[in-house]
Order: sequence, then C-alpha cells, then structure tokens
Amino acid sequence: MISFSQVTKRYPGGHDALSGVTFSVEQGELVFLTGHSGAGKSTLLKLIAAIERPTSGVVSVSGQNIGRLSRRAVPYLRRNIGLVFQDHKLLFDRSVIDNVVLPLDIAGFDRRESLKRARAVIDKVGLLSREKANPVSLSGGEQQRVCIARALVSRPALLLADEPTGNLDAGYAADIMAMFRDFHQVGTTLLIATHDERAISALGGRTLHLDHGSIEEAAA
Amino acid sequence: MIGWLRHQKHALTAALNRLRAHPVSTLLTALAMGVAISLPGVLYLGLNNLSRVAGDLPAQPEISVFLDTRISDAQQLAIAARLKQPDIAAARFVPRDEALAALSASQGLTDISAGLTQNPLPDAWVVRPRDTSREALARVADELGKLPGVAEAHLDSLWADRLQAALAIGRAGVWLLSSLFAIALVAISGNAIRAQVLARRDEILVSRLIGATDRYIRRPFLYLGALQGLLGGLAAIGVLAIAGGILRAPVERLATLYGSTFHLLPPTAIEIAAVLAFTAALGWLGAWLSVTRSLHQVEATR
Repeated sequence: MISFSQVTKRYPGGHDALSGVTFSVEQGELVFLTGHSGAGKSTLLKLIAAIERPTSGVVSVSGQNIGRLSRRAVPYLRRNIGLVFQDHKLLFDRSVIDNVVLPLDIAGFDRRESLKRARAVIDKVGLLSREKANPVSLSGGEQQRVCIARALVSRPALLLADEPTGNLDAGYAADIMAMFRDFHQVGTTLLIATHDERAISALGGRTLHLDHGSIEEAAA
Repeated sequence: MIGWLRHQKHALTAALNRLRAHPVSTLLTALAMGVAISLPGVLYLGLNNLSRVAGDLPAQPEISVFLDTRISDAQQLAIAARLKQPDIAAARFVPRDEALAALSASQGLTDISAGLTQNPLPDAWVVRPRDTSREALARVADELGKLPGVAEAHLDSLWADRLQAALAIGRAGVWLLSSLFAIALVAISGNAIRAQVLARRDEILVSRLIGATDRYIRRPFLYLGALQGLLGGLAAIGVLAIAGGILRAPVERLATLYGSTFHLLPPTAIEIAAVLAFTAALGWLGAWLSVTRSLHQVEATR
C-alpha cells in the first residue's frame, strides 16, 4: 500500500527532516509511528498525502509515485486517504454535519445520500446529538472525533493520523484509540503518528521509530 | 455529468449565500460597477438618439444635377443616356414645376413660394451613383457638372457625411470609454473577490487537504464574480433609467420648440440583455484572474 525507498526530504535552509528512509506498509496493517517531536513524523505523513514532495527517493502509495504525481492528480489521491490532524482543522462557519459532509460534496455525491452517510459516521463517533452544533462549542476530544468522522466519511482505504490524541486527556485518548482499533478491524490501513505509549501497548500492531530523520523498526 | 451539475448548483448556492452574508459590501461593489458602466451607457444612448435625428435626413448620398434653362433637346438626350450607364444606381428626373410644388409643400416656405411670380427653379436630375465612396461621388459629380447643358452638379451628401463622421468619432469614443470602464470593472470585481478568497483561506486549505480540485475551489468565486457583475449591470441600468427620467422632460421641451415630436428612446431589451451579459462576463473574468492569483498566495503561506 505504502512504500518508501531511500526517501530524503530536505527543507529550504538545509535541514533534513528525513534521510534515507525505507519501509513499507501492507494493506490492512495498523502501524504506529513514534519519535520525539521534530523527528520527521509529520513530514513522513505529508509525503504520503502529497502535501510535500520528496527531495530524493521514491514514495509510492497504491502503486502511484507521489514525487511524479501531477498537480491535477493530487486531489484524486487525497480522496482515497483520510487525514486526521492534531489541530482538527475544522471549519467554524458551519455545523458538525456540514464539516463531515464536505469530502462528499467535493467528490460530487448526491446531497441527500451524502447527508445520510455523514450522519451514519457521526453516529459511529458518538456525536449524533451534536450534529447541528457548531464545532466551536465542542470540547477538544469531540472536535477530534468530528475530524475523524470527516476523514472516514468517504470510506478511504488508508487513514493517516498525526498526533490524534496529542491534545487530549487520557480518557478521551483511549476512546479515540478504541475507535481506530475498530476501523482496523474492518480492513482500513492505519498509520498513526503518536508518542502515546499506552495506546500503542493497548492496541498492539507494528511500530516504526523515527530518530533524527532515520527510521528503525521497533520490536513488536 | 450529474456530478458536474451538482457541483455547479452547489457553487451557485454558495456564491448566493456569500453575497447575502455581506449585503453592504455587495451593494457598494454593485454601485461602483454600476456608475462605471453607466458613463459609456449614457454616451451610447445619447449617440443613438442623435443618430435617429440624423437618420430622418437622406442617408443615401445623392448628386443633384441642375440643368441649364437654355438646354437643347439633343443635350437633354445625351445627359439621359449618360445617366443610364452602369456606374449610376438610380436617376430621377425632377421637372421644375414638381420642384416648385415640393418647395411650396415644405414647412415654412409656403409664404416664399406664394410670392413668386414665375418659377425660378431649373429642371434637375437626382442621381444616386452605384459606388458611394467619397472619391467616387466627387468624381461622378465633377464629370456630370462638365456635361454640356448642365448648370451645376451638387453633392448633397457633404454635410450628412460630416455629421456621420462626427457620429463615428462619438461611437469610437463609446468603445474607448467602454473598454476603459470594462478594465475598471474587472479590477473592481477582482478586488472584491480577492478579499473573499483571503477571508476563506481556512476553508480553501482544508478543502485542498481533503481532495478538492482547483476547479472546485475556484467555482464558487467565479459565480460570485459573475453575480456581482450582474448586480453591477443592474445598477448601471438603474442609473440610466434615473438619468433618462431626469432628461426626458427638458429634451422633449427643446424638441417641441423646434416643431419636432422627437422623444428619448430607452435602451431595447436586447441592449439591456447585452449589458447584463457583458458585466457578468467581466465580473467572471475579474474573479478568475483574482482567484487564480490569490490561490497561489494562499498556498504559498500555508
């Protein structure tokens, strides 16, 4: 599903966020990405979603070479990837359900069908009673769940999460991780960047450790 | 196809909502556009009405050939034969009695003709050449004037030519002004859209991250520009209607003083539709230029 081969990402100014990273993730895997802050976790996720391009090496997602992807093809790649952000990136000028339905609007689905699917996924993250609320009135954990609902509404084969529990207290964090486990069980490929050791030990799965831009496979 | 239509509908709804969300700035932008467009509009309508006055006069250039009073029959026949040649489109003989009758019938000249004891007018031909270019007219008039038995050949169209030339300058002025104000309109629209793009920065960035294409992001702004242009066009027509209402009474009073029933004509439905289509298209263009530029800015500052 995902493969990195000798990938280096150098930012302007000469800082190497990643250097010579090689690994691959199979379809249906649950993989944690750990490492201190600044180790390159976010950069690695951004390369997969074509938010950044590699300086050298090959990033391939579902057989597509991300480095060579044309600007016009990027949106179609992203429609198959659910993105969960640490800062949620919700839009505060619209309700919860309008946030969640946005990816389906973008893909051009029938509005009524889209709303039905959005409601189903909001139910799954346990926020059905708040679907009309403005996300600004929700707690951090609830906002994160809205963000997850938005990432999942188009049923992507791959979910990338960047510090999904970074700003949450332990109770909320456990809820969110339990949700990820459910998605893993229905066949979604998950790549989660986190330094929440408890979550990793609770869910199991493979762990990739990033240290100053280099990767090492941690013992399971 | 259905997805495409859905996107159009979605973008149109979004654009309408954005206009409604800022009624004051929408109104101000429409007014700025309306005033800009109404200036060439007023000039255009003024010229149109002036052309109508000019249009009541003979539009076809004619040459009046006045015959010598002591012309011989042979000369008469020679002239008639000359006027049958292919460079003459039409030639009409006006006997002196008919000319006097026409003069008597003309308004205000009855008194003069009644005082005449004998007809002072010569026989004449009214000639319309086939080639109506300025040089050809002058050449034909010159040639006819030199025929034996002809007293004078007079080119009637000269003053009409001058009026037409003046009107042509006016029309060129309309185009020039329209072009300038079209640029102004594109700029006004572009500026309004730029503010909208920057205000929706977060939405654009998030939409990008979840798979929005450039076209998807651009579309509501293009509709917004076109709608804003349309409102500007409506405002321009409103300005013209008010100007027409103010000018109508004095213009008709002036016309009455000249014994004319002339009255101001409003723009036709086609002209109104053309103005609206034009302003909507320019609003769209301004939006396109602006949104394309601003999107790059927004992405650069991600």
